[in-house]
Amino acid sequence: MTATSAPARSAPVTSPPGRSAARLLRLELRHNAMLWMMPVAVALFWVTAGRKTMATPPLWGVRAANMQPTAVLANASPVAGAAAWMGSRESRRRTTDLVNITARPWPARLLATWAATTCWALVAYLACVGVVYGVTAQQATWGGPLWWPAVVAGASLPALTALGFAVGTLVPSRFTAPLVTIAAFFVLALSTQLINGSQSYWQISPVVAAPWDIGPDPGAGTFYAFQPDLPIAQVMFLTGLTAAVLGVLALPTGAGARSPRRSGVAVATAGLLVAGTAVALAGTGRLDAQGMIAIPALHDAASDRPLRYTPVCSHTAIPVCLNPAYASYLPATETALAPTLDQLAGLPGAPARISQAAVTYQQGRDNSVGFGLAGLPISGTPPVFHLLLPVELPGPAVTTSELAAQLRSITGPSIVASVTGDNPGASQAQHAVTTALLMAARVVPSHLPAGGTPTIGNSVAGPPPGAGAGSEQYVGAAPGSPAYAAATRFAARPAAVRRAWLTRHLAALRAGRISLGQLP
Amino acid sequence: MNVEITGLTRRFGRTMAVAGVDLRAGPGVFGLLGPNGAGKTSLLRIMATAIQPTSGRLRLLGRDPRGDGPRREIRRRLGYLPQNLGYYPGFTVAEFVEYFALLKEMPAARIPPAVAAAVDRVGLGDRSRARLRTLSGGMLRRVGIAQAIVNDPELLLLDEPTAGLDPEQRMAFRALLRDLGQSATIVVSTHLVEDVGAACAQVALMDRGKIIFHGTPGDLTARGAGHGTGDAPLERGYSAVLTAARP
Repeated sequence: MTATSAPARSAPVTSPPGRSAARLLRLELRHNAMLWMMPVAVALFWVTAGRKTMATPPLWGVRAANMQPTAVLANASPVAGAAAWMGSRESRRRTTDLVNITARPWPARLLATWAATTCWALVAYLACVGVVYGVTAQQATWGGPLWWPAVVAGASLPALTALGFAVGTLVPSRFTAPLVTIAAFFVLALSTQLINGSQSYWQISPVVAAPWDIGPDPGAGTFYAFQPDLPIAQVMFLTGLTAAVLGVLALPTGAGARSPRRSGVAVATAGLLVAGTAVALAGTGRLDAQGMIAIPALHDAASDRPLRYTPVCSHTAIPVCLNPAYASYLPATETALAPTLDQLAGLPGAPARISQAAVTYQQGRDNSVGFGLAGLPISGTPPVFHLLLPVELPGPAVTTSELAAQLRSITGPSIVASVTGDNPGASQAQHAVTTALLMAARVVPSHLPAGGTPTIGNSVAGPPPGAGAGSEQYVGAAPGSPAYAAATRFAARPAAVRRAWLTRHLAALRAGRISLGQLP
Repeated sequence: MNVEITGLTRRFGRTMAVAGVDLRAGPGVFGLLGPNGAGKTSLLRIMATAIQPTSGRLRLLGRDPRGDGPRREIRRRLGYLPQNLGYYPGFTVAEFVEYFALLKEMPAARIPPAVAAAVDRVGLGDRSRARLRTLSGGMLRRVGIAQAIVNDPELLLLDEPTAGLDPEQRMAFRALLRDLGQSATIVVSTHLVEDVGAACAQVALMDRGKIIFHGTPGDLTARGAGHGTGDAPLERGYSAVLTAARP
């Protein structure tokens, strides 16, 4: 220690707040627990969110909506835990007296530590989102990134760090961080258990990316613009929550100044108001026909219009046209439907085109949701058959071979039934001809419940909108019945004979004027 | 006067840690002596604005620390080394001192040279990039002194500053105190009377929350004449005053 180099004393001059704050933040960034938790957060994201998201179809809507809840859950524990650890630092390290007697107000000091924790959490999250969106950009055939789900998951990080940090600061202990780590996951995971229908206040939880009862809607960003109503409310809630918690941090009494406490009360009050408003808005949500949550106060009606797109079409006897976002499914769809379409091409009343349509939804009582086509399966002049791809429907992801199998056994019979007029009230001859055409196409139909619409793997129930009276549903002939024998006989006739007979008698068959005995 | 204390008390539950202290101190090194539990640390924490007094009047650097603005001004001009120094093991020496320079709201441009100077003055210039977890207890004590003096304080409060320092470092530290005391008020709380004798111009002796002696080290030495307890003259004075004050 030397006594000869004392600098000349000068009156303290306050530092420009921005520059000093930046230096303080730099120091905190360099010594932040979240820096060490980043690999854990990234690994958890990839194991729980990344792999699951990348396994879904390469549709922006599906990928983004899958990523949001899993990313929030994956980040919750490491981020909140690291924040709690940093929040309890002064107490754990016994520097409370030393830092409390410095001139910088304690909220500003704590804010720097919190901001550094949040910065690293956001860096880890953005890196993960960048990978998911980058790969999706490579795989997707149409459309662009949906940013709102990413923004909601991103906005959850400051809220998580604020909550963790506040608990660490106000209840400092070496056990605080581990407890916060565990609690963060369970609170978020359990926050969805109370959701009941599309008007639930609980859907404000950032782990809700789509109507909770049906999951991500593939129509979002493909057939219809993504509705940001719920994400806007969620971001409002998370921002308000963050502000409220940070405001509370400025409240503790002690040797501190009164003005930070007054600011803290103002910020906390404003934050609570914003968060409360967001929760109230979420409670006014309703499931719209496009499968998204519409909040009247935030809804832009202009965004309800269908998106314009040029479909991609197959070169089958009857063209199959899909939304360009589903272009990668066209070869499988074409292969699956071609044998059936070959049987129908050129027949009177046969569809001129198979065109993919969007699923429409309707909230039923309690948690039930109806979904299906908005109108009849076949309509227009020339007639167009409206196709729902299984990947559009709520349920787990399907592989390409599963998709082809479902198209062949469910959609193929529906197309044939739409031409023969087969439905539960149709004649035995209609059942027989439908079955015969499927036999000729070597299609083994999957029988559908009467009045139903193709559905896969979901427990939701309710009448599909627009699938009411008059919609053709495959019934076919039951094995062993006279109709089945007639179908076997008709299928065995040469293709030219079948086609010639159908050309002459299809109109009468559809009208129910043909009997089984009249079949060749 | 940089420190003006009148009738100051501080109560912790049923314990009266500071029981009516009157004290005035201008520039120079002021020694605060006393046995364990005498109230030295509590008095120092009040002067550091870490805790508020239960009653009494306190003015530091000509300001009343009860007001937000004056307290912030005092804190900009204050250096404090607590008895038990907390620290962040991952910080380097320079980073730890810089951290406190920033918290003391020093101008950003003045911080790097001030940090370097403070670290040099405590003899850790060659260890400025060492992480605190790698330092010995004595070195950590010197880091604590560096953070206390980085803002060139007008009021420096040091609680047991020489604990853990070896004899050579203690001599250097006393020299540093004398140098700093030329322009600032330095209050050193210690139970090592030789520190007081070597560096302090004024000394107060506390016992059971009260100041029972206030004078120069020479005055204290004089009180020990003819008193048998203690190896050194100042220690005998210390013992004599304590014995006389106790019933």
